[in-house]
Amino acid sequence: MKKTLINVVLTITVFILYFLQVNFFSWFTIAGIKPNLFVIFILFIGLFGNRSMGIIYGAVCGLMLDLIIEQKVGINMIGLALIGMISIIFDKNFSKDSRMTIMLMVLSTTIIFEVVSYIINYMLYSINIEIFKFIEILIVEVMYNVIITIIIYPVIQRCGYYIENEYKGNRILTQYF
Amino acid sequence: MYKNKKNGFLGIIITIAILVLIVIFSNKESNTSFFENIANKLVMPIQNGLTYVKNKLSGNSTFFSDINNLKIENKELQDKNSQLEQSLRELENIKTENETLKEYLGLTEKYGEYKTIPGYVINKDISNYSKMIVINVGKDDGVEENMTVIADEGLVGHVVSVTKNTAKVMTIIDTSSSISCLMSTNKDSIVCKGTLGNNSELKAIYIPTDADLIQGDSVDTSGLGGIYPKGIHVGNIKKIVSTKNITDRYAVIDTAVDFNKINTVLVIKNK
Repeated sequence: MKKTLINVVLTITVFILYFLQVNFFSWFTIAGIKPNLFVIFILFIGLFGNRSMGIIYGAVCGLMLDLIIEQKVGINMIGLALIGMISIIFDKNFSKDSRMTIMLMVLSTTIIFEVVSYIINYMLYSINIEIFKFIEILIVEVMYNVIITIIIYPVIQRCGYYIENEYKGNRILTQYF
Repeated sequence: MYKNKKNGFLGIIITIAILVLIVIFSNKESNTSFFENIANKLVMPIQNGLTYVKNKLSGNSTFFSDINNLKIENKELQDKNSQLEQSLRELENIKTENETLKEYLGLTEKYGEYKTIPGYVINKDISNYSKMIVINVGKDDGVEENMTVIADEGLVGHVVSVTKNTAKVMTIIDTSSSISCLMSTNKDSIVCKGTLGNNSELKAIYIPTDADLIQGDSVDTSGLGGIYPKGIHVGNIKKIVSTKNITDRYAVIDTAVDFNKINTVLVIKNK
């Protein structure tokens, strides 16, 4: 029952994030550059949910975004599913108790997501590579994502451990001993 | 979790404040008026209060006797004000509707030779690297793939996919978009591609080596490629960048359409 409730809340969150990203963050930008809330969200699910959750949510969210706004289905789907997979590796190897670790995770996953998306875009549409401009945008976007993570860290922690207790049982400390 | 909850909370507030400041400063063109506003907001209430006290002290004897009259007058004015506000709202609604209709009419007159379908932009891309838009007309309205989309000022892009009630439009500023264009003065053909950095610039490449580029020259579609009809205004040449090898030179085109403010568009039905 609780798991169903968690999934319902997460699904609603996906839509809230979408509307936030489309409406609020297309206006609340840093030098015209938007953050990517979905990367943070999928990382969060991958870290605290069970093994497949991050990948499934990543793929579904990505598919939804591709269907709504992108030209072809796949770019966001592959990118976010990849974030789901990477978050499982992060979960196994790093502590989630530190704000700094979470920030570094967001930093690295944002870079990975955008680089993978850019490469797929290049392969599909043979776009002109503008490496310096890409890096410039990426740095601001990463910075923005990290700032958002700092702000929502307490929510991530509280909700995250609630989900983790439901899915994995209370083994927050046992994995280190 | 937090060892010190107060510090953690303070940290979050400071981070939000920094984020808001970054967003304001990075998007504001002129910061002077911003500071002026802040300074005014800090000083003016106190200044107003002081002026009020000064006026009272300088002998306004009718102050207390007028209070009752003022209260009645205030009530009447408040009622009047709410009535006026309501009519203002109604007028604003009519004005907006009128503007939209005028815009549609203007667009249709300008591109009278084409059969067009008017539409609104309802969604913009969430990514920083692609620049697609979604419009509120679809298959039911007669929109099909590869139809050209224009705005009052010029070319917007073309339809890449259609649902029943919506259509995805790849704008000309998207990095995967290329348009074959003609420069209006010398009729030389160039290819205009979208760039990552700017929402109002295109990069014109494949410029013929013998072509004379003129700054400010108008650039229109050439009709080649099978998607865009001939003669739709794209923009003007803003800058010519010469390189060591003349074949690599390129020009920066300022788009006619302001993609940050685009709201109404027309889909061209016949090519």
